[in-house]
Amino acid sequence: MNISALTLPELGFRLKTAGIFLQTGSFVTHLRTSIASVAEGIGLLYADYPLVEQAGFADFHVSLACPRTLRRWFKPQVLFLFDGRPTFKPLPLDQAFPMLEWGLNWCVSSHANRYLIIHAAVVEKGGHAAILPAPPGSGKSTLCAALVCRGWRLLSDELALVRVSDGRIIPLPRPISLKNESIDIIRHYEPDAVFGRKVSDTMKGTVAHMRAPAESIVQAMETARPAWVIFPRYQAGAATRLEALPRSRAFMRVADNAFNYSLLGVRGFETLAGLIDASLCYDFSYSVLDEAIEKFAALKPPAP
Amino acid sequence: MMWRVISAHALHFRSWDDEFVVYNSLSGDTHLLGAAAAHVLSELQRTPAEAVTLAGSLAPVLQTSFDEELVLETERLLAELDRLALIERSRF
Repeated sequence: MNISALTLPELGFRLKTAGIFLQTGSFVTHLRTSIASVAEGIGLLYADYPLVEQAGFADFHVSLACPRTLRRWFKPQVLFLFDGRPTFKPLPLDQAFPMLEWGLNWCVSSHANRYLIIHAAVVEKGGHAAILPAPPGSGKSTLCAALVCRGWRLLSDELALVRVSDGRIIPLPRPISLKNESIDIIRHYEPDAVFGRKVSDTMKGTVAHMRAPAESIVQAMETARPAWVIFPRYQAGAATRLEALPRSRAFMRVADNAFNYSLLGVRGFETLAGLIDASLCYDFSYSVLDEAIEKFAALKPPAP
Repeated sequence: MMWRVISAHALHFRSWDDEFVVYNSLSGDTHLLGAAAAHVLSELQRTPAEAVTLAGSLAPVLQTSFDEELVLETERLLAELDRLALIERSRF
């Protein structure tokens, strides 16, 4: 059963009482909250995600709650709890849904060490995955959103999971987080895209989440083979340029963008080396989304 | 002065084109090295050696003549690899 099978009041009731067991890719999250904006965000942006009905095991036990301090009467806040303990400083209650998204990213990036976890978007076409590692502000999520609006499968907009045992890329399709100007750029680029509510004044500015394509969620257990490592950089007015990058340089830059490369030790080194061996590596600068999409459509996979 | 790698099994290499990435499992550090540094490291992995011997084996790799300048360059390279904790002085 998917989330969409529940009405909003039913979803809200479940979240408030026993919680839901939400399947995102290969992870199950047990989530509880009585915060209405979180229930609304889940109802809208996670409508196509499966609920695990025979509840029991969950990778992560998460709840969002309002601290019961006097402050709740004049400036209410929200806490993200992992295994019942607060993990971050509280945020304004209005930021509850973005906090859930950031918290779920943290759950994976801090615990899923059977994968080399890279701060990168991942999209796939024809069985070949393009990994887009980049620091915040590079236009990674904007490009990722545009690509999935034009037929690429979303594996993740934030966390590339490279399975240590065989180097395959594991999907984790979740709502795409867009910031500031990118929100209206993608709204304009794909008027049919479904967005959650805009939330202002967060630590990242104004944020809004775009629903992942239903097909990407259906294929969330289908792994992909790495084919390209592309470092995107949005620059206003820049020409669209895809430039080959020496693999050794790409290795070092991906390692810089990995959460657990050092933690994995030699296995991290070997996994990353395997990823680089299997991929063509590029620097990519762009300013016009249509041209960027065209460039990606023309990518040739590496020779087998 | 003889040099050797910090540990026979600690260094892991991968090479692409003319560049090398080396992972030191003792420190957890990863380094990007050029062909000369990688050649010196791999020679020292085989057996401890002096700068002059290493310069002799580097000359054909760099397609240059073996002379005093190359020995000085090799010593500078060894000092840099020592600073990165990839090699150390050897008594033998």
